[in-house]
Amino acid sequence: MTPSFAIRVPPGAADLPGRADETRSPLRAAPEPAALEAASVTRRFGDVLALDGVSLAVTRGEVHALLGPNGAGKTTLLRAFTGLVAPTSGAVRVIGRDASRADRWLRALTGFVPSGDRTFYLRLSGYENLKFFARLHALPRRDRTARTLTTLERVGLADSAHRPVSTYSHGMQKRLSLARALLMNPSVMLIDEATHDLDPAASSEVRSVVEELAQEGTAILWATQRIDEIRGFASSVTLLAEGRVRFAGSVQELMARADAPRFVLGVRSTGGVDAEALNATLGGSATIAPVDAQHVLLTLGPETLLGDAMCAMTRAGAAVVSCNRERSEIEQAFVALTAGAGE
Amino acid sequence: MTRALAAALPRPAFLGEVAKLPAFLRRDFLVAWSYRVGFFSDIASLIAQMLVFFFIGKMIDSSSLPEYGGVHPSYLEFVTIGVVLNAFVQVALSRTADALRTEQMIGTLEALMTTPTATATIQLGSAVFDLVYMPLRLVVFLVFMTVAVGIDVEISGGLPSLVVLIAFLPFVWGLGLAAAAAILTFRRGGGVIAVGTMLLGLASGAFFPLDLLPAWIAAAAEYNPLAIAIEGFRDALLGGTGWSGVGDHLVLLFPISTLSIIGGSVLFHLALSRERRRGTLGLY
Repeated sequence: MTPSFAIRVPPGAADLPGRADETRSPLRAAPEPAALEAASVTRRFGDVLALDGVSLAVTRGEVHALLGPNGAGKTTLLRAFTGLVAPTSGAVRVIGRDASRADRWLRALTGFVPSGDRTFYLRLSGYENLKFFARLHALPRRDRTARTLTTLERVGLADSAHRPVSTYSHGMQKRLSLARALLMNPSVMLIDEATHDLDPAASSEVRSVVEELAQEGTAILWATQRIDEIRGFASSVTLLAEGRVRFAGSVQELMARADAPRFVLGVRSTGGVDAEALNATLGGSATIAPVDAQHVLLTLGPETLLGDAMCAMTRAGAAVVSCNRERSEIEQAFVALTAGAGE
Repeated sequence: MTRALAAALPRPAFLGEVAKLPAFLRRDFLVAWSYRVGFFSDIASLIAQMLVFFFIGKMIDSSSLPEYGGVHPSYLEFVTIGVVLNAFVQVALSRTADALRTEQMIGTLEALMTTPTATATIQLGSAVFDLVYMPLRLVVFLVFMTVAVGIDVEISGGLPSLVVLIAFLPFVWGLGLAAAAAILTFRRGGGVIAVGTMLLGLASGAFFPLDLLPAWIAAAAEYNPLAIAIEGFRDALLGGTGWSGVGDHLVLLFPISTLSIIGGSVLFHLALSRERRRGTLGLY
């Protein structure tokens, strides 16, 4: 039987959206404000402009990807939502309340998974670490142990719960960090590079846990530079580069921003690949560029189908034996939209 | 009243924060216990230090030392009180000052700051183990010196000494908070703390009578809280003067300690606000 845990609700927060208020009143008449909202947020560190007029909104139950290369400002924005960094100008709100005031009650409703590895007491076990943070969250004594163990189990660390954290791998520490954020069934989750050190299977498990949370109504802001993981996972994306929003919309809309698709084709041809002849055959509907003796790079025109281009090549004596997309649509859009960043 | 409703009711903030302190105590005990060698070598080094003073004491005529309760103590008795309180200040001050810096260095400070815990609780919590352990260490050491080396201590002076220690503790904590503020701001401060505690110890009469100092330093040292606490301890434990002997010391200690804790808290709060404003709390 799954234990149930009541969540302490901050005074004045009973009418606000989020998971905590569901234990109080199932009725909500007022329209929902965004669970996480940044409005024209600018943050300057000396001469460096880390965030430049960034706006975004995340509603409850939504997984919002915050995508961007290194130094884009993702971590700074997440830290602004936790109250660890105050914006130079603009507003950050969590569940309608000013996050820059680092309101203690708000912190009780916010789960944060920082990007760093070393955020635990390495000499203590994972269980002792979580229990310590559970006490700081004022989890009642009667629920503390059960809740700690259940959460460790949820992130797949039950077997190593009593080992010192110093013996944990990076991936295990990341999962422990996720467990800490999950302890109080947060209304909003701020997750910074959660899958950075994880293998594909572990990454998938973490995303599954986060998806479950979103289905339960938690608003998720997921910062990442792993562009491959947001398809089928995030419902909306904000792409940051050099502290500025380069794109905001759905994942599908981001994919539509990709440049013309390019494929690396393995080609078997007697006498080698004649790119010039193949281009002449394609008549401008697509272009071929040689990669090496057995491979060419095919760039499709806007109206050209991949199958038609390959048929034309086969007819011209170049049998296509393999076909791989050079980059995913999201990766292409990412590259196109962040072009020039960091130069 | 259902359990859910009871859990949902906000706890009085102060009590809620106090209830978190045992979590820090347990955490730091477990960490300290995981370094068992350090746990015991700490006591061993103090005993080794006393061996040095034991032999130095053989050269010193006790009649050159001040009287407590009409009796001249031996040099070993005189210096034992000074050494334990001086060591208490050194360790408690540096650990209070370094508490948040340590959290910053090991990367846990931001994780703590994102919990619904008051900054004052985090600061006090990070030092609470030492604030409990250091007085215990002091008592254990005094008992050891009494039993093993045979220094003559008045048992009746135990309770008055404890009250002096309690009155002295906020002074050390306040000074620690001020030092913590400097460390948070400048990221360094160990050297300044070491020099400060050395000067405090030098003008405390811990190792020699204050009369030996130049007159103007000796006059100023009368208001050194460490000197006041040491004299209070000596009056109670060596002179057996009981409560009447510590009264004057307490009258001086309370206002100084109050000023220290208020000043230290204000400086620490300002330093923390500055770090938040600059967004550099997690940087070291």
